[in-house]
Amino acid sequence: MAQLMQIIISGILVGGIYALISMGLNLILGVVRIINFAHGEFLMISMYISFLFFVTWGLDPYLSAPIVVLLLFIFGCFVQRIIIQPILETSATVKIFATLGLSIMLQNLALMIWNADYRTVHTAYQTSVIRLGEVAISVPRLIAFAVAILIAVALFLFLQNTLMGKAIRAVAMERRAASLMGIHVKKIYLIAFGIGSALVGLAGSLLMPIYYVFPTVGTLFVLTAFVVVVLGGMGSMLGAFLGGILIGLVEALAGVWISPGLKEAVYFVIFILVLLFRPSGLFSLGKGSEEVGLK
Amino acid sequence: MNRLLTKGNILLILGVLFLFMVPQFGLNKFYMHIVILILFYAAVSGSWNILAGYAGQLSLGHAIFFGLGAYTSTLLLMKSGISPWIGMLVAVGLCLLVGALIGYPCFRLKGPFFTLATLAFSEVIRLVASFWKELTNGAVGLNIPFQPGWSTMMFRSKEPYFYIALVILLLVIAITYWIDRSKMGSYLVAIREDEEAAESLGIPISRYKMYAVLISSGLAGMTGVFYAQYILFIDPEAVFNINFSVQVALISIIGGMGTVLGPLIGAVLMIPLNEILRSAFSGLNGLNFFIYGFVLILVVSLIPNGILPTVRNWLKKATAKKKGTRQVVANPRNGGEQVDSAN
Repeated sequence: MAQLMQIIISGILVGGIYALISMGLNLILGVVRIINFAHGEFLMISMYISFLFFVTWGLDPYLSAPIVVLLLFIFGCFVQRIIIQPILETSATVKIFATLGLSIMLQNLALMIWNADYRTVHTAYQTSVIRLGEVAISVPRLIAFAVAILIAVALFLFLQNTLMGKAIRAVAMERRAASLMGIHVKKIYLIAFGIGSALVGLAGSLLMPIYYVFPTVGTLFVLTAFVVVVLGGMGSMLGAFLGGILIGLVEALAGVWISPGLKEAVYFVIFILVLLFRPSGLFSLGKGSEEVGLK
Repeated sequence: MNRLLTKGNILLILGVLFLFMVPQFGLNKFYMHIVILILFYAAVSGSWNILAGYAGQLSLGHAIFFGLGAYTSTLLLMKSGISPWIGMLVAVGLCLLVGALIGYPCFRLKGPFFTLATLAFSEVIRLVASFWKELTNGAVGLNIPFQPGWSTMMFRSKEPYFYIALVILLLVIAITYWIDRSKMGSYLVAIREDEEAAESLGIPISRYKMYAVLISSGLAGMTGVFYAQYILFIDPEAVFNINFSVQVALISIIGGMGTVLGPLIGAVLMIPLNEILRSAFSGLNGLNFFIYGFVLILVVSLIPNGILPTVRNWLKKATAKKKGTRQVVANPRNGGEQVDSAN
């Protein structure tokens, strides 16, 4: 029983990181209507930046997180302006392969700079745990999870209550009408892409004390994020959050009940099943799904 | 007038004859290797092109069929001593089956979600192949013992490999050419451009998409068998690799998706570039793929139709100018997007 509790808790905690990555991907998908295949590489970059801060100045990943978030925001805006904006009105092929091209470039740039080694940071709190009876909770994972919840709430409040947030939602719902209402749609795209990338930057910072960084680390997480986004429903931040936790849980349970080697295969199978039977996701707003090809 | 002796056909026959003569040019092993790689990649990419370029189903899981082909023939050879030639037939049969099994449910998805589903399938199969150690030897891979001979499809020299790759490529090109000229080609293009409109015109879209995936996966499986016999080593990372699927797609995109010779042109340009970069910067891992990614972004942003259709359009425009007439050239292979002088 305690073992099962342990598995469930670790699964949920890992799910927090998945949720952060997925919320960024989902924001970009819901607003800019583009599937960013390079999203995982954004995560990889933020992990390397976090790693660099650590080895150069001994800066703890949690302390450098605000800088990483800011850098990723700027990077996201740059990518949106240079690569995404010019192709927004083109075919699905162009959209898919432009971001795939970016993903290949970034991955191999990292390979050239840092080669394929696994790198990690060592912090004092890395292995510390909180004990609740027989269940041990890893502190960095708990922190990551708490921040994920905090960010999810903050993002929700931002989208619901601020003028900018309302403008972003308006563009997500009906960009032509939004543009007629005087919303600068291109600017909203830029900001949404920036925020989506910033969320990944945060995820990278929180992941660094838990996980290794290597050039293809993004592939691992981005496929999970795709699963989560489809599972949670496109455009639904709550869906992305709950989907992230759900996948974390499934992965943990599959790792124990089936085999660690097949845990990823299990959620890909879930992904395929969801795509086939409920492609609008579990919590979808349904808006704009036809544009990205879900209908 | 003899209809078989048109200018185009004569050029075609000369071209094929030229290709068959290539091993007589006295190329050294390295250059022969590059030529074989070009033929090989053009063939895999051509098989992808039938599904993606013509039917518009952007698969990023082509490594599934390629890998299945490689594993089927290799396992048959290593466990039961069955010749790869027979293995090739079995592999094609298996790929048809798996292609149908994956295609049937996935065809309900459109655009990026079809792509994502094929990616997910590809990952599942890679993970299962790594996991199923009794059968595949897991991540360690399979070393195919070298027993040269025609029955084992292994050779000391490069020439026989060249001819096998060439025949596979010509088969791919011939099938693509046939599709391009037949009713099926028009149906597929209609499906690619607007599925609902195609359906409302009475085109049986599910059946034709299925034909496309079957042809495409069968041919891809064949190339996998060739690869295993040429490289003599396979592991899940090499044959079920997403990057391989991307590379295969890239070659068609650069050359021109939905054209008969696009994949060949893409391979002729990209494979030597890849090999030159790899040997010139051997100390710098990843540079060749970095440039691949860069070229991919450039091509899709600047000439989204690929090289072949773009050059064709220039030529058309140039001849139109010569005649003193100005006409807007609409490219039929490109969603009716007008590629006029404004671009």
